[in-house]
Amino acid sequence: MPLLTDSFPLPVLADRGDAGCACGAARPRAWRSWESRREVPARSAEFPDGADLPPEGIARRGFLQVAMASLAAAGFTGCFRQPAEDILPYSHPPEGLTPGVPLHFATGLEWDGLVVGLVVESHEGRPTKVEGNPSHPASLGAAGVFEQAALLGLYDASRARTCRLEGQEVAWSTVQEALEARARRADEGAGLRFLVEPTGSPLLLSLQARILERFPRARFVPFRASLPEGLHEGTRRAYGRPLDVVHDVAREVVVSLGADFLATTRPGNLVLARDFLAARKPESPNRLWVAESALSVTGGFADERLRAKPSQLRPLALALAAEVGAALQREEWSRLRPPVEALSDAQRGWVRRAARDLLAHRGRGRVLVGPESSGAVQALAFAIDEALGNAPRLIEPVARPLGGLEALASLVGELRAGTVDTLIITAWNPVYAAPVDLGLAEALSRAPFRLYHALHEDETSAHCPSFVPAAHAFESWRDGRAPDGTAAVLQPLIAPLFPAAMQEADVLGVFAGLASQSPHALLRALWREWAGAPQDFERRWSTWLAEGVIPGTRAAPVHAELEEHAVLAATREPVPPASGLELSLVLDAKVHDGRFAGNAWLQELPEPMAKLTWGNAAWLSPATAARLGLEKDDVVRLALRGQSLDVPVLVMPGQADDTVTLALGYGREAPEGVAQGVGVNAFRLRHLDAPWGASGVGLTAVGRREALALTQEHWSMEGRELALQVPRARLTEELRALRPLQEDAPHLYAAPLRTGAHQWGMAMDLHRCTGCGACVVACQVENNVPVVGKEGVLRSREMHWLRIDRYFLGDPDDPGVITQPVACVHCAFAPCEYVCPVNATVHSDEGLNQMVYNRCIGTRYCSNNCPYKVRRFNYLEYQQREPLARLRQNPSVTVRSRGVMEKCTYCVQRIERARANARARQRDLRDGEVRTACQQTCPTRAIVFGDLNAPDSEVKRRHEDPRHYRLLNEQGTQPRTVHLLRVKNPAPRGGT
Amino acid sequence: MAPLFRPGTDAVLRGILALALGTPAVALAGWMWLARSPLGRGSFAPVEQPVPFDHRHHVADEGIPCGYCHEGAWRSPRAGVPPTQRCMGCHAQVWNDSPKLEPVRESWFADTPIPWRRVHALPDYVWFSHQAHVNKGVGCVTCHGRVDTMPAVERVVPFTMEWCLDCHRAPTPHLRPFREVASMTWRPPGGDAERTGRAVRAALNANPRTSCNTCHF
Repeated sequence: MPLLTDSFPLPVLADRGDAGCACGAARPRAWRSWESRREVPARSAEFPDGADLPPEGIARRGFLQVAMASLAAAGFTGCFRQPAEDILPYSHPPEGLTPGVPLHFATGLEWDGLVVGLVVESHEGRPTKVEGNPSHPASLGAAGVFEQAALLGLYDASRARTCRLEGQEVAWSTVQEALEARARRADEGAGLRFLVEPTGSPLLLSLQARILERFPRARFVPFRASLPEGLHEGTRRAYGRPLDVVHDVAREVVVSLGADFLATTRPGNLVLARDFLAARKPESPNRLWVAESALSVTGGFADERLRAKPSQLRPLALALAAEVGAALQREEWSRLRPPVEALSDAQRGWVRRAARDLLAHRGRGRVLVGPESSGAVQALAFAIDEALGNAPRLIEPVARPLGGLEALASLVGELRAGTVDTLIITAWNPVYAAPVDLGLAEALSRAPFRLYHALHEDETSAHCPSFVPAAHAFESWRDGRAPDGTAAVLQPLIAPLFPAAMQEADVLGVFAGLASQSPHALLRALWREWAGAPQDFERRWSTWLAEGVIPGTRAAPVHAELEEHAVLAATREPVPPASGLELSLVLDAKVHDGRFAGNAWLQELPEPMAKLTWGNAAWLSPATAARLGLEKDDVVRLALRGQSLDVPVLVMPGQADDTVTLALGYGREAPEGVAQGVGVNAFRLRHLDAPWGASGVGLTAVGRREALALTQEHWSMEGRELALQVPRARLTEELRALRPLQEDAPHLYAAPLRTGAHQWGMAMDLHRCTGCGACVVACQVENNVPVVGKEGVLRSREMHWLRIDRYFLGDPDDPGVITQPVACVHCAFAPCEYVCPVNATVHSDEGLNQMVYNRCIGTRYCSNNCPYKVRRFNYLEYQQREPLARLRQNPSVTVRSRGVMEKCTYCVQRIERARANARARQRDLRDGEVRTACQQTCPTRAIVFGDLNAPDSEVKRRHEDPRHYRLLNEQGTQPRTVHLLRVKNPAPRGGT
Repeated sequence: MAPLFRPGTDAVLRGILALALGTPAVALAGWMWLARSPLGRGSFAPVEQPVPFDHRHHVADEGIPCGYCHEGAWRSPRAGVPPTQRCMGCHAQVWNDSPKLEPVRESWFADTPIPWRRVHALPDYVWFSHQAHVNKGVGCVTCHGRVDTMPAVERVVPFTMEWCLDCHRAPTPHLRPFREVASMTWRPPGGDAERTGRAVRAALNANPRTSCNTCHF
């Protein structure tokens, strides 16, 4: 018998491991983590040590479980009758509702002051799933991780439930009376201060204006951890006044200096990602240049990525301007060139090549700067863009009030001086998120009356004797504006779950003298006035509500002249010199500034690049870690200006040397529940003059280790080459070499039945996948997928049906990155099906690999035999069954209990529901009627699902695309999900 | 020397063996039979409701069609139990002082639901759609029996997976024209259920599926 390698001369079999390459030409080795590359054995096994052990410290619980199991087994009634149950129909049924048929309502979610429009599915009045609103300009049908996970925030059991007045639990009406007493004042509001988050909401802004009319000396102080200070300072320098920028990134060349515009972690980014991908056709991709200090989603997607310390972004911008200026014969610009020691040779080379690329694509490029950068750098980017004919679209600032952290600083001054007698806080958790050197907590106590309005009793409420619980966005009537200014009415999905919950408009309404009117009435009055009180207002109002946007409200572009001399003057201002180790504080990709820290879905979502769950870590580059003698999990003490913080180290390839990146938003002290005690509070290193970090941070090893819950080495497919990425120049030859990964291999078993009229299939285009993680959360929400907690993740027991693998390629210090979503690929010859002893996983005639929970006895043979490692086992009873948690479950999907295997079903509940609807209308299911949860939410349309039998389906087109390949095709599994390889477009080298 | 075992010993041994093997086998068989029997399934046990609602009176005497109250069956997975409003539509006018209807009036004025007892329950891991059946010519009476003759509703079919699959595998004799779906008394013309079923099946494109994911997901 010939050797397997002779009958199947596949490169994968011939050379597994290091240079394992399935398509001929030499390509860099792919690896999962710094530790795995050096073959540090820790947790690199397919199933880590202790994966099958019971959790520790639950002897009593375990005993009770066994006891209850025997009790349940004693009564075999479960095999016979169903338990007695009541049916509770409506007394007065709501209009237009048929029990069992979900309704969809357009609404939206405001965060960072801007709205992303959403469509929320509601089952008999309880919201169960969030989708993007295709009509909304900030969504276009997509939703990001925060929008998807917002649902859990609604059903959060740790939400505050009662009002407090001077420490006493009271009803809202009592608080309202107290506020009205505070509003009866003769000082024109001199002692009245509001600490608010900037918002684009016309309703809230009109209330603020009305309050200022009544109390001319009152002030609204803006506060949020991520105020757009740099951007507004930049536009003030460049255009004379603070403005917002609506970026258009559907460009040939995009240069990003620290702007992570492809991650879904800012309200406008969903659309930026879609636009950018629109200009990135695989056959003629655009080019993305990214300079950044820590590996981000955008950096991972870059064609030309450059590692730079945070302090080097400014010299990079100067050098870029100098290069562009020199080519455009602008004498003054060439003087911008930064001192030689500011940048390395490689960095100067990167700048030269980026500048050449921009110059070659005048009018078709864009320079983006991260929001953390200073005004001077932002202004310089505008100047470069204008000089190259890439003028950005400017609009008046959407979210107001304007201002930066200095506004909070002056409020603290007033508090200390004792001139503030009434302070109303509606901004999210300022005591936690304010710069540590402000001393806000201590200053707060100087205000005799301070009231905090928030979803949770948190760090700030501990310093406020008066408190009003806030209604969740899905419980409130309000409005808001998209990043491009388009207004939307955000309607509630459900009455407040906790009746004491009030909206911000209720609180502000008291001071505006409008306490008698509900936010709904205020909202209608405002928009009736805006529309000019037309006869058909009711009809218009219904249309706005149904569509989720108010037409004609997009902000008009502002025509502003660039003031070049002001920009150049700004660049000459001195900056503090940077030396030593630099600390970079970043908003977290999962919990943002900490406001989502109580959300278990987000806590368990692996960070897109580090794949870190449940906590934050100090990211260090491999070289820096080696120099300091540190390894992953070593706890270090970061010290900055007298403040110190103990945090575990994560060695992160692609990190700039001598830079420590630490995510904000963790280490919450309150409320009790999910958020408490996860990670460390990086706000303790945040200072007023250096909100995004500083240089000269001290770092010493503590000598302790703390395990980080990383998923990057879980579900390993053992070194085979899986995620393919090729440079554009080699595309043709690589496509030829891809043939073995596209063809059916001979197989011992009989071919599966393909009798179904529809043959479902999926295609995941790596060229479009940024790895943002929205699909992972969407899948979790849709399919009632539980969370397992940090202990579970450490044991590799996370339940995500869809995971995003992130591979590093090549150089460990400065690697390439590729992300690859992997869910059950629904093999035609499914290895799991052959080993199941009870036929709990079988094939359907439509090509689905079905998982039948009620048959599963939990042998886990299927999972062991799955080459893709996509099956998930309920080791414990992970599902929460308390009333609030049950409300959010998708009623169309079985809630799995302990001992059951589960995995991606291609959202078969959506297939069956759509089929029932179509067939009830006596027609067949059409292509495009069924969209899976991951497909629907994807901002870049990387995932396509559909019927391979439909003649013109998108999924069929992708299955026939020459870029497609089957994962582990040498196994002969014939997967129904194919991946499409990613094309990179690095700039040609040489001549620099 | 007397033999150690007397001739009858073999019979005793055989008896013990037969009991040891037979008892579990019979027990298992009995258990499986019980699980399928009306006793085990809880069929033919009328369920008392908080309101003594009589289908005989409403359906047979008054001729109210099924869809008047259970309209969801045509367009939703759930047939639905009517809201109190539906009851009050008539009973605000007729029998509006009957003590038997006190729970209905209480529900209406206090805006609280009437706690009806569920009669037809499927396990939570089964997804069943009335819409998919009713629109393909499966009559109400096929699964729910002659509700018009029941003083209190009871289950008349076993609702086992086997019973579901019997029809999904060979639906033809169980189908009826769409307009007759809610009829309690319809009989196939000429008594030939197979012939009628074939015509209905072709007209309504009724092709039930039997893969697991049809009902379990």
